[in-house]
Amino acid sequence: MKQADWPTSPIDYFVLSKLEENGLRPAPPADRLTLIRRATFDLLGLPPTPAEVDQFLADESPEAFARLVERLLESPHYGERWGRHWLDVARYADSNGLDENIAHGNAWRYRDWVVAAFNADRPFDLFLREQIAGDLLPTDDAELRRQRLIATGFLTLGPKVLAEVDETKMEMDIVDEQIDTLGRAVMGMTFGCARCHDHKFDPIGTADYYALAGIFKSTRTMDSFTKIARWHENSIATEAELAAKAEHDQQVATKKSEIDSLVAAANEQLKQSLGEGAALPDKPETQYPEETKQRLKQLRDALTTLEKAAPAMSTAMGVTDGDARNVAVHIRGSHLTLGDEASRGWPRVLSHDTSFNIGETESGRLQLADWLTRPDHPLTGRVFVNRIWRWHFGRGIVGSTDNFGELGERPLNPELLDWLTVEFAEQGWSIKTMHRLMMLSSVYRMSSTHDPECAAIDPENRWQWRAGVRRLEAEAIRDAMLAVSGTLDPTMGGSLLHVGNREFIFNHTSKDETKYDAPRRSLYLPVIRNHLYDVFQLFDYTDAGVVNGDRSTSTVAPQALFMMNSELVSDAATALARRALNEPLDSDEARVAWLYRSALARPAAEHEVQRASEFVASLSEASEGTAGDDTRLAAWRSLCHVLLTSNEFIYVR
Amino acid sequence: MTAFRSTFSRRQMLRDSGLGFGYLALASMLNDEAVSGRVRAADDVGLDALAANNPLAPRDPHFAPRAKRVIFLFMKGGPSHIDTFDYKPLLQRDDGKPLPFEKPRVQFAPTNNLLASPWKFQQYGECGQWVSELFPNVARHVDDLCMLHGVHGTNAAHGGALLKLHTGSDNFVRPSMGAWVAYGLGTENQNLPGFITICPTLAHGGVRNWGSAFLPAYCQGTPLGVASQPSSAATVRYAKNDRIAPAQQRRELDLLAEINREHLQQTGPNSALESRISSFELAFRMQMAIPRIQDISDESPETLKLYGMDETVTEDFGRQCLLARRFAEQGVRFIQVTHSDTNVQWDQHSQLKQGHEKNALEVDKPIAGLLTDLKQRGLLDDTLVVWSGEFGRTPTAQGKDGRDHNPEGFTIWMAGGGVKPGFRYGATDDYGYYAAEDKMHIHDVHATLLHLLGLDHERLTYRYAGRDFRLTDIAGHVAEKIFA
Repeated sequence: MKQADWPTSPIDYFVLSKLEENGLRPAPPADRLTLIRRATFDLLGLPPTPAEVDQFLADESPEAFARLVERLLESPHYGERWGRHWLDVARYADSNGLDENIAHGNAWRYRDWVVAAFNADRPFDLFLREQIAGDLLPTDDAELRRQRLIATGFLTLGPKVLAEVDETKMEMDIVDEQIDTLGRAVMGMTFGCARCHDHKFDPIGTADYYALAGIFKSTRTMDSFTKIARWHENSIATEAELAAKAEHDQQVATKKSEIDSLVAAANEQLKQSLGEGAALPDKPETQYPEETKQRLKQLRDALTTLEKAAPAMSTAMGVTDGDARNVAVHIRGSHLTLGDEASRGWPRVLSHDTSFNIGETESGRLQLADWLTRPDHPLTGRVFVNRIWRWHFGRGIVGSTDNFGELGERPLNPELLDWLTVEFAEQGWSIKTMHRLMMLSSVYRMSSTHDPECAAIDPENRWQWRAGVRRLEAEAIRDAMLAVSGTLDPTMGGSLLHVGNREFIFNHTSKDETKYDAPRRSLYLPVIRNHLYDVFQLFDYTDAGVVNGDRSTSTVAPQALFMMNSELVSDAATALARRALNEPLDSDEARVAWLYRSALARPAAEHEVQRASEFVASLSEASEGTAGDDTRLAAWRSLCHVLLTSNEFIYVR
Repeated sequence: MTAFRSTFSRRQMLRDSGLGFGYLALASMLNDEAVSGRVRAADDVGLDALAANNPLAPRDPHFAPRAKRVIFLFMKGGPSHIDTFDYKPLLQRDDGKPLPFEKPRVQFAPTNNLLASPWKFQQYGECGQWVSELFPNVARHVDDLCMLHGVHGTNAAHGGALLKLHTGSDNFVRPSMGAWVAYGLGTENQNLPGFITICPTLAHGGVRNWGSAFLPAYCQGTPLGVASQPSSAATVRYAKNDRIAPAQQRRELDLLAEINREHLQQTGPNSALESRISSFELAFRMQMAIPRIQDISDESPETLKLYGMDETVTEDFGRQCLLARRFAEQGVRFIQVTHSDTNVQWDQHSQLKQGHEKNALEVDKPIAGLLTDLKQRGLLDDTLVVWSGEFGRTPTAQGKDGRDHNPEGFTIWMAGGGVKPGFRYGATDDYGYYAAEDKMHIHDVHATLLHLLGLDHERLTYRYAGRDFRLTDIAGHVAEKIFA
């Protein structure tokens, strides 16, 4: 090893050996300004504030960066950022999409659960077990049980053809979506192929597929398959809600018995008035005295009103066990041509022992979850540490993060991946520990400095001879604009959806009334499948319908149109300009310096100060006479608009 | 000049930095005296590298194309083939009798006995094609039309059927056929997207029906408005800014370009940063180009009349058809026009007569006008016009006066672009329930459409998640008999 003094972490030895093998050398370390901006966006999805930058620059100890990482990991915004990464994998959305786009009115509970799990550094194995079989994990803690029921929303969130006329097909399509998602998300395996034929490239047969299908067919995901089909939701009512419900039930019962006794008394009276032994007429109520009729109407109206005012009981999308049964192999994937029955279980090729221990009345989900999270599972830990690597560095050690199969990419550094996988399990599946491990390495702290010789050997920077220059994700672009303009509302959690659960987002009207104007973090904006928010649609958000651990980054003209002409950017620029003008500063030059610090987290160079000041001055002159406009504000707004849309703002080095 | 010649791969370029609407616009702009002062030297942004990798440059098809572009007239909701272009004398004779054969295993809704068409049919043109009273104007063009009477699909619900028709798949996320065409052929006009969809519906698959799925982002359809808007109000999102004077925006863009180039100098060669710099110039040109195409004040009163824009009932769809011609003239590869309102338009589960009469009246004259206009301008020769719903309707009655969805057999017609004019291909059974002769599944329609554009549906592939994908998946037969 030529650069023996370079490594600071075990990771670095693995990376450096590949670099040297390929005739490459690592770039010099990044400066402090670059590091704090990179780490803050990486862990929080937000830019550092000028005060945070000052604090970091002032800390001269060698531990300064480690302290910075600790501070960031303790921020509640960490869970919002990294929880969102997992939501990409979980194909999270607030609407069904596909054919009948109705609202997932309770999906937000799952989103908030994920954010909290990341903030609490929930061990990844438990995090997975709760999502796959949370309803089956024994606990006496009522709140924990509610949280675990919410976690199973993972299995329910997929897009479904809710108006599929062939109900048998719909059920198997939903099972297929669950298997496909679980396979890609957890194991990086594409099981979907084996629905119709033995997998052509990976050792997964149709029998393996239908063994898994049996587990999900024995799981209750849907309450009804009649179009428009209805997904299942578990009750997660709190003690207070249950008490309110009991009290309300009591009130209804009282009201009903009041009505019953009034009717009984009136009937008795009627019979008597008709003479001894007379039978009650067909429609007795029509013959009641007027006063009784009115009283009865009053009582019934009151009952209706009362019933309508039933207290809301919280429910969450999720599953529970249904009727346990095996599924027959569907020949060529068709439910009309059935073959042999496959016992519930999982792919034999991945198992050390093939006794699945699934009881006759059990779906097998709990056993599946236990097997997936065994410390020696060949794929689960490997796939997830690779995801963490991808989210930190922009490219996985295995580039195809969701496909570790024969058709996926080969790991660039298999030894590193092996080491990280073992380390992850040994460190108790702690995700925060993995962040520390990766971020405190020399690899992470390199600069993005260009090196023509290395670029000639490895133009795509596959071996990581320098830090990547990466565009911010859709959410971070918007959040950063709101943050630096001082308009970001940091409230956490809850729903911003404009329609009730299971209501149409837009039916046949093509009028989408979803609002995206809340200045909350983008994580909390509704995720509407088939009609994503413009910022999401334009800036390579996930499709929200399939597992996506590796978002792409496109650069197309419509993004530039958005930057130039959207209200969002324009408003952010105006707010930032107002802030700049309200700062107690005595010169335009000082204002420019303040702007660079606020927007780009760095001091402005002398020529930048001069250029920006001249720009503002010339615009103020040019637009003089514009009727009623605040020309000074308009000029500063223009400067802010430029900074907010600049490559430096949108990219992290 | 060569200082920043980047060495990124073509694949990487296609995937990550699809330039939007291409490098050529920027290159031509650099040569344009009027704006050349606005943009600095080409070598600053690595244009050499971009030129070699421009994904939207017109590309050679696999073989000689019969059509260069497509205008797709989509009738949302499922117009009834047996009440429009597929005349069934036995259906008229056996009104009220039971269907003399089995209905499909899966039906969207239960239906009763046969229901005769409430409209009269007559033969038109030299080819003698039967057309009902619903389409008197289109009927006069039958000698230019190629009727595909044996089309069938796989999904009986709107959502699934729309996705199947537009993307070839009703249960997976797949690129739209327009995106495949943009991917395969690039575009002839570097100031405009390769695929435009005018007033599309957001329901039943929504954006997926014009999305690019795993294809590069530049392939996706650019929507002009949505179905809930009148076409006169339809615009490309964010192509207009009323909050700032154009001159001031130009000043902003100049400063932005300067700052971005400085940043690029510090960062070193980077295709994405370079692309982003040019994307702003492209966007600036695009926001000037699109309003010019939408401004129809240069059309003669005769032309406007041809499209029915002088009458309230046809004005809206007429404008869509006229815009389609204007985009076609400008070299857009795939233009979709959608006839859709807030009631699923052609979906007459009841009141077939009132509903279909209203719908046909809205589109008949504009479509006929479009065909006339394209022909007059010599555009019909290399423009393929396709008329289709997501399925047809049942010959059996739903309720007393409606028809249910029918994906088992229906009619699509094509015109121009190398198809046999005045030709009938395929047939449904005697009552129009099932496709019976020369059947064409939706996959076959896709294969044939691509073939007309010079693209082999088995060779137009894109590698994603480890496998090569096609519009036609593992199916698709080209109906060569319909080629002129």
